[in-house]
Amino acid sequence: MTSISRLPSGAGVGLRLPHIAEVVATRPSVGWLEIHPENFLANPHATELLTELSQHYFISVHTVGISIGSVGGIDRLHLKRVRALVDRINPVFVSGHLAWSTYGGEYLNDLLPLPYNLEALRLIEAHVREVQETLGRPYLIENPSSYMGFRTSMMSEAEFLSELIGRTGCQLLCDVSNAYISAQNMGYDAYEYIDSLPADAIAEAHLGGFTAEEDEASPGAELLIDTHAAAIAEPVWNLYAHAIRRFGARPTLIEWDNDIPLFAALLAEAAHADEVVAGTMALEARCADAC
Amino acid sequence: MPTLAETQKFFRNAVVGDDMAGIRSLIVGGRDASKRLEVHRRNYETSLVTALLGKFPATVWLAGTPFVTEAARHFVCEHPPHAPCIAEYGERFPGFLSAGPGAERVPYLREFAELEWHVGHIAVAIDQPPVSLQEFSAISDEALLNTVLVLQPGLRYLHMSWPIDELMKLYLTETAADSFEFSPADAWIQTRGARGEFHMDRLDAPEFIFRKSVSEGQAIAGAAERALDADPAFDPGRALVRVVAEGLVTAIMSGSEGDK
Repeated sequence: MTSISRLPSGAGVGLRLPHIAEVVATRPSVGWLEIHPENFLANPHATELLTELSQHYFISVHTVGISIGSVGGIDRLHLKRVRALVDRINPVFVSGHLAWSTYGGEYLNDLLPLPYNLEALRLIEAHVREVQETLGRPYLIENPSSYMGFRTSMMSEAEFLSELIGRTGCQLLCDVSNAYISAQNMGYDAYEYIDSLPADAIAEAHLGGFTAEEDEASPGAELLIDTHAAAIAEPVWNLYAHAIRRFGARPTLIEWDNDIPLFAALLAEAAHADEVVAGTMALEARCADAC
Repeated sequence: MPTLAETQKFFRNAVVGDDMAGIRSLIVGGRDASKRLEVHRRNYETSLVTALLGKFPATVWLAGTPFVTEAARHFVCEHPPHAPCIAEYGERFPGFLSAGPGAERVPYLREFAELEWHVGHIAVAIDQPPVSLQEFSAISDEALLNTVLVLQPGLRYLHMSWPIDELMKLYLTETAADSFEFSPADAWIQTRGARGEFHMDRLDAPEFIFRKSVSEGQAIAGAAERALDADPAFDPGRALVRVVAEGLVTAIMSGSEGDK
């Protein structure tokens, strides 16, 4: 497998199609760029522009359609197309989600939840192995944003992820916003969740905005929806600082997929992420000196 | 305990089909977890309806947002995507839209939406380096007849029974005509696009047949024969020169010689 011998310094941003021409034209200063391959596979022009950008920026490929949790198996044709793009732009990371999206040949265009039990673990283990063998590199698995769980779950999400990492050698993409959203929605402590993740396996972090709405399941309470349609909320920045203290600095990516703002707004969020890292690390260093 | 396959089947039925019977007892979250399934149902429907509306803005302009949105809602329930690349989803939407209630008042709706579908795809194509006329000089007349040409990827040939390219131009130029006469008439349209741009050209029937046949992989002799059936006065030699001169040919293939 390809080992990662180069890593971006500084936070990156998700590159979406409305911004690609601007980024090609202006070459903004940003740590790295992450793309969803599904947006490029049927768009030769955008792929041409992305290939040009890959000569100047670290690129990460974040898949949304691999569906490692589907009982029907992985869409191998799609995986082959992703592999062709990966070969073309040589990304620094390739990642996907602990979720499923396909059933009976239908693609449900969402990241759907899984029960955390042995049956799911064995299935996903096999699929992650297949993805890593096909891509010839480690696959990073992102923790999901959750709105519900299953009575058939036999372990926590962190235990499930740790077991999966141990069995497959995959790495973890720690989505700090998802950790916050899931904890709020499912009623557990986000800080304890972060603390329970296997720190050594974390290769990348994500930050994105959420939207709060009334929880129809619990009238009067709030449900957080992972919309990627807003600025990152203060409690998530605080959780991110905690994650840095726990894991150390990791390549971090700002996601914004709906109601997409000007590219400058994404750069401002990335700059703030860098400030949080610098501030947290400086504080940690002072504490260490004082001790 | 239900298997993962059963769980996913129940979940799929709740998300796409609004059938909560199987999944309700399996999930937890809040006081009534089944209410939270609405998040996934909404993600599914809204994301796909939004994608379809984004792919057919001219059709929305023509038929109205409420009409197209309602059709899109039904379409995503009855015809879920089969692959994760959503840019490729919706090819059957023009037919679905035009078969729905109310569509009969716009008899050219299907053709208009089909044109828009094709324009959306050719506009993101990439032109390949064209073959020059000189490259044909080494080919004997006999071999030329059996030659197959590869055309630019951003080309489509559409025979319409309404002059919908005129209607599309109104949309593209944001023209609000005081009156617009529109009646059925054959239109043979070549659309060509690359790198974010596209244009539509009218062809006469034999030229259209020749070019479409070539684009479908017919040898030059076969394409010429079909064009001559439409018009005995058709001149295949001049037609071939025009195709090459316009930069439409990207490769010359022959069964015996392979890619030249």
